[in-house]
Amino acid sequence: MTDLMIALLTAFAVWTGWRVFRVDSMVRASFALMLSFVAVGAIGVLLSAPYIGVATVFMMAVEMMVMAIFMVMFMMNPAGLNPMVMVHQHRLSIGAGIVAFIGLSAAVLLSPLPSNPVAADTDVVAQLGHELLGPSMLIFETAGVTLLATMVGAVILSSRQGRFGSADEGSRPPGLTEGGDPAGRQPEGGGGHGHHHHEGH
Amino acid sequence: MAMTRLARWAARSPAPVFAAIGPGRQAETERLLARPGLRRAATPRDAAILLVAGDLPGDTAEALSHVHDQLPHPRATLRWQADAPDAIAARIETAWRDICAGERDEDDHLPDEPPNAWKGIGPHGQGGKGMMGGTPYGRPMAMTGTDIRDGLRLDRYTARFGPFLPMLPPGLVLQVTLQGDVICDLDVQAPPLAQAADADAPDLCAARMLRLLGLDRAAHRVMHGQSARALWLRGAVPKRIGRIDGTSARDRLIAWLAGDTVSVAPPDLPALLHGAEWAEAMLILASLPPSALIRAARGVEAA
Amino acid sequence: MTALLTLAVLATLLGGTLFAVALDRAYLPLLALFTRQRVETEAPDRLNRDLAPAWYLALAAIGIAVVPFAPDLALIDSPVGIVIWGSCEALIVLTVFLHGWSPNAPFPLIGAYRYAAIGLPVMLPSMFVLIAAALPAESLSLVAIVDSQREVWNVIRQPLGLPLFMVVALAMTLRGPMDYADAADIATGTSAEDSGAGRAVWQIARLAMLVSVSAIAATVFLGGPLGPVLPGPVWLWLKTGALMALTVWIGNRVARTTPSRMLTILWVVLLPLSFLHLLISGLIAL
Repeated sequence: MTDLMIALLTAFAVWTGWRVFRVDSMVRASFALMLSFVAVGAIGVLLSAPYIGVATVFMMAVEMMVMAIFMVMFMMNPAGLNPMVMVHQHRLSIGAGIVAFIGLSAAVLLSPLPSNPVAADTDVVAQLGHELLGPSMLIFETAGVTLLATMVGAVILSSRQGRFGSADEGSRPPGLTEGGDPAGRQPEGGGGHGHHHHEGH
Repeated sequence: MAMTRLARWAARSPAPVFAAIGPGRQAETERLLARPGLRRAATPRDAAILLVAGDLPGDTAEALSHVHDQLPHPRATLRWQADAPDAIAARIETAWRDICAGERDEDDHLPDEPPNAWKGIGPHGQGGKGMMGGTPYGRPMAMTGTDIRDGLRLDRYTARFGPFLPMLPPGLVLQVTLQGDVICDLDVQAPPLAQAADADAPDLCAARMLRLLGLDRAAHRVMHGQSARALWLRGAVPKRIGRIDGTSARDRLIAWLAGDTVSVAPPDLPALLHGAEWAEAMLILASLPPSALIRAARGVEAA
Repeated sequence: MTALLTLAVLATLLGGTLFAVALDRAYLPLLALFTRQRVETEAPDRLNRDLAPAWYLALAAIGIAVVPFAPDLALIDSPVGIVIWGSCEALIVLTVFLHGWSPNAPFPLIGAYRYAAIGLPVMLPSMFVLIAAALPAESLSLVAIVDSQREVWNVIRQPLGLPLFMVVALAMTLRGPMDYADAADIATGTSAEDSGAGRAVWQIARLAMLVSVSAIAATVFLGGPLGPVLPGPVWLWLKTGALMALTVWIGNRVARTTPSRMLTILWVVLLPLSFLHLLISGLIAL
């Protein structure tokens, strides 16, 4: 019964994964990807890893929602009115797909899989918790704090309001020679200072 | 047999009415829709009866036809000219019973066909040349543009709203360019229809704002002369929005709830709403007495 | 036993939904909707339009399925019960988004992304509150959380928990001050293009979710099936019903502020508050 369920969920995960590249809008693509992950999460639950399985569903739902918000922000395209193609750079992606498939298959087939059945009444969630907050704590906390710092940094870097005023004003690099033109690309159009100065030469 | 029983139950529910309000009829219509046997539908899709109150100007005829065709079948249009409120309420209830019994329906006014053919011209079946912007299939799409807040180039979506939207003053047509919720461009394309002084009544004005705050029952109570009995009423209206000659939207709501009539100088609508978020803009519009709105829009027209 | 529990879950969902319809005084209007035509918008996403209410209903059913009906008896007796409910919350936000996205019209789309923007920060306090409730139980299982409340309910031990979770309940059921998806300023938002049976089913799913989220709150904060004299399920139903009535009352009485202001409140007030709640609960549980 479990074997059959796993087979069905795997087939569903592969089918929805394939749909990601065949549907014609980004929202549909991200939700197809989410369904694929939900199926993987369900397989996790069937493999007696309830926390990892359910957490996968939770994380993927939130993640795809955030992706969908960004898509609407940048492409306000309700119901995918203007169809899009989800596949780009065909040669590179086909090559990458084949390499990844061979690599992962090789890993599955060649690595010695442990055969160490645990007793049915083992408290796997508690064990996972002890592992995460015990021997592996340094790894997970480091990764977590790094990700958080990255997110905070990205927001600060992209914010217009900076500590020293607006980020897109007055931030010109110094000249290459003393008192010379600022280095780097001149802003085009807009009739800024750089333009007039340039004409003066 | 089951269907007729369902129809009988349906006929006993309040009649869902969507109102197209003409000049001078706002107060009467709003009071009519607060009656127990009637229900104010927020969208034509939820209505069965289209109530046309008063004489609508000729340039709203097409918009009215669009609203009419958006009502699901079976549906009925009722014109309200000189009837007393009791008489029109009775006519609406009769029409609703006939609709439920399947004895009354109306055909579309406009042909039900897409304004442009669904024929792709791009290499991937899309309507335009690129993936964004343009007018695929003759339908204008959003395109990224400069932002008025933080320089993040997000999609600008332009659409026309009005003249019969229930959260806008009757007759007002706005062409709005939205970036998410933020109004970055606004053009008054048609002014609100003239209303009599009774549209400025404190209870009606307060009820309009209460409905936007999600307090339908409180709005109902206020219109029947009771107190609103709602929590966090003042706090929910942001302090700074809708400032005109020293009073803000929140101040006006407080005055209306206390039963005072409010008069403000005609505001400059585009300046007032530019940069506001959609929800704020609707609150600001509802916080202006209809008389001020009408004078404001007239001023823009004259200029 | 499983069959009996399945029956209990379905009966609770059905009975609770009927009670919720009565609380909203919506019997006749809902029945009337079934006599109306279902209008199709231009170029909708039909699959998602039809699936959204079905998912909403299914998530409500899953929510009730993890709730214990007797001190050690739940249909889905998972060691990670509250994480399952957390996933349901995340999927609800997604379902409401799809409901607004599918009709291909401006107001539903505005309601959809507005709700997604509000729904994501609502989930953070929800997670902290639920994890705080898991601390005294030393388990993520709802059965263990019920068991940990034999002496004192979490609503007393963790006084901030239930008020914070009520905010979540209002957001998950699109109600009153947290109804940013189907708000009046966007002509009922994600439902603006729904008519007939489609509109009715969405409203019914919304009311079913009220049962589900109230049952979870009753389990986590009010001891679920624990109580003297009466059998466990009856206590659960009573507590769920009381929380449903409270949610409806708050929804009818509290004003809804503008979305940007609510976002500020969620990030600046409620999130630190739920942190504090987690910290205090953790210290007490030690």
